[in-house]
Amino acid sequence: MTGDRPLPLSGIRVLDFGHIVAGPFCVRLLADLGADVIKVETATRQGRTGARRGQRPGGTNGRTPHLYHINRNRRSIDLNLKTERGLAIARRLIDKADVLVENFSSGVMERLGIGYGTLAKANPGLVYASMASFGQSGPRQGWTGMNVTLQACSGLMLATGAENDPPIGISNSWNDYIGGLHAAVAIVGALSKRRQTGKGCHLDVSQFEASVAMIGSLLFASAVTRRPPARLGGRSSTAAPQGCYRCAGEDQWCAISVQSDAQWQKLRALLGRDMRYDTLADRFAHHDAIDTAIEAWTGKVSPQEVERQLGEAGVPAASMRRANEIAATEEWRQVLRPLKEHGESGPKVIGLPFTFRGSAPREATEAPRMGASGNEALRDWLGLDEPAIAELMREEAV
Amino acid sequence: MARILDLTSLMGAYGTRLLAELGHDVLRIESLKGDSVRQEAPVLGGAPSPEAGAFHQFLNAGKRSAAIDLATEGGRKLLLALIAKADAAVVSLPLPLAEEKLLAANPDLVLARLDDGPPELCAYASAGLLAITGEPDGKPTMLGGHVPCAAVGVHVALATAAALFGKEASGKGQVVDVSAPQCLASLAEQVWVEYSASGEMMERLGSRGGITAVAGALPCADGHWMISVPPDPRGWANFVQLVPHPAFKDDGSLADEAMRRERKQEILDCIAEWSRQQKKNEIVEQAQSLHIPAAAVTNPLELIDDPQLLARGFLKPIDHPDFGRINFPVGALASMFQQAMSIAPTLGESTALILDELGYSVSEIHRLKDEGTVA
Repeated sequence: MTGDRPLPLSGIRVLDFGHIVAGPFCVRLLADLGADVIKVETATRQGRTGARRGQRPGGTNGRTPHLYHINRNRRSIDLNLKTERGLAIARRLIDKADVLVENFSSGVMERLGIGYGTLAKANPGLVYASMASFGQSGPRQGWTGMNVTLQACSGLMLATGAENDPPIGISNSWNDYIGGLHAAVAIVGALSKRRQTGKGCHLDVSQFEASVAMIGSLLFASAVTRRPPARLGGRSSTAAPQGCYRCAGEDQWCAISVQSDAQWQKLRALLGRDMRYDTLADRFAHHDAIDTAIEAWTGKVSPQEVERQLGEAGVPAASMRRANEIAATEEWRQVLRPLKEHGESGPKVIGLPFTFRGSAPREATEAPRMGASGNEALRDWLGLDEPAIAELMREEAV
Repeated sequence: MARILDLTSLMGAYGTRLLAELGHDVLRIESLKGDSVRQEAPVLGGAPSPEAGAFHQFLNAGKRSAAIDLATEGGRKLLLALIAKADAAVVSLPLPLAEEKLLAANPDLVLARLDDGPPELCAYASAGLLAITGEPDGKPTMLGGHVPCAAVGVHVALATAAALFGKEASGKGQVVDVSAPQCLASLAEQVWVEYSASGEMMERLGSRGGITAVAGALPCADGHWMISVPPDPRGWANFVQLVPHPAFKDDGSLADEAMRRERKQEILDCIAEWSRQQKKNEIVEQAQSLHIPAAAVTNPLELIDDPQLLARGFLKPIDHPDFGRINFPVGALASMFQQAMSIAPTLGESTALILDELGYSVSEIHRLKDEGTVA
């Protein structure tokens, strides 16, 4: 996709006070939409990396692999917010910002002296997004949350799996992504509102609520029935058969989802079994028996072969792809992008999964070393020249 | 606020709900029988069939509904008239009319085209997400409740909201192409990063956490609770205060996270032995007072009376005409923007009003209904 039309958020200035995944991921979405981002970091708080991201030291530019990916497309300034001078520079940058994103626990930004109430007086147009686990109010305002605990209490783990399964989650930082995405939608919405009113706002995003909203339909069902909804274990309520089927080899699986009677006839022919179940109602009623018949076939074949044969027959099927198999798929080819600094032979990062026609996607630039682009940030945002920056930095003693 | 036409499937419907939560006027264009979202189970007693689906009730809240048969000439003409007055249209492919015709009717339209891709489970498997969801020794599974579809939907909302913001600045619309398979692939980022950085493959962990050495969902007297034992020595001291198992008190070596990683299963077993006698909300309260990340594992039924969700206006008691008094899930953004969310519309609830707004006379509206163009 090429074109010279600017991306929608070009010219929007974002300050990233985020850490670990949720905040910096939200900011990366805004950057990929065209925003100009400065990350405010504090060298003395380097330990706050999150353990999955902290297990392997090294990475690039002083960042572990996950943080290197999450923090791309921004500049970094190292400011100690616990010093007067560091705070003063932060405030000057905030005065020039359109958006501020932070995902500290509730109350931390206020204690640092950069809570929304203080900042909005000087910059009433500021869109200030907080992303605490449970938000800035309510009985759990002060609670500690992290991805796994939020997956647990947002209903996700009991909406997943089959009846009588233990709670089941997803092994990545799913909840951080969902929180970051919701915050990004809210920020863009707030920028639109600001265009009409001239006023910014404080967006009190709760990562918990973002995650609960993802199963809002199941909440609605329970509100009416006063029962927990059925755990379908990968089955569908509108198509059958559907499921993950064991294939030949160790821990090999293929997903199959039969969407129509015609597709069922194709699958039935491959199974070579004497069973009808011509209607959807029949197939729902005999789902267990059909599953057994499908696994009698798939259990002898590789998942790639199951996918290939069903693909040829026009039946939706996809093997369970692991890390070493994903890059070859079309969707992965589309989202993997090179980094400007390293070119096609360097590490590939994940870009936005959507494109704006007539606008070239934002070129991916690598996450900077902490504080590496502080001078550039001060020059661009505050219009300071080199001597003035040198003066500031001497006092700040970075 | 913007006028948005919604012609999405289940993959995009949460996205257009979020646009309604931002305050936009979202009009869902449905077939005369109602759209596919209405078919999704669970189907609730107490309402007639096209109104009884829980997914319809949640995902279409805050929207209006017009029932138009787009297979008819009159229906397509009507759609173009609506396009001409809209700011944006969000459409699951295939488009009901050629893109050129839609853009000819409104050159400044924001047109978000959603490629739904293969069925949800298949896209989830291809993306690399299935390999990290489920019990390690059991069957892989997909996140339930059509959460993968909702995850695509949030991207649809972001792409559309951004294009609308761009249009406000330039006066020009834009075509946005959203790919559901790409959305799910992008959410498997960490799978890619681990592998490309170190050759390691993320695996299914079931209800275990992968961050701290000891983390997972463990049984309680009344369900499960999730605990992540803090990695630092002070956190461990707090944890031993919470879980006074003799095995922890007597063994100083367990204050070390590396040692805990080695003896993970043994520690989890000890915690479970203790927590089986406890009530989940009580131990979670106590853990939180000690700054230990812990949470009750909850199901949607428990969430519907959740004090945090009620206190912050995510849940709001309403009198629903079909279902009576219920705690209605307003939404994560609507509660923040204090945006009133109407309950999901009945099929074609706003058809006549929309036609009237377009300048159709009462007799023309009757004629369109009689000939089966609208309902």
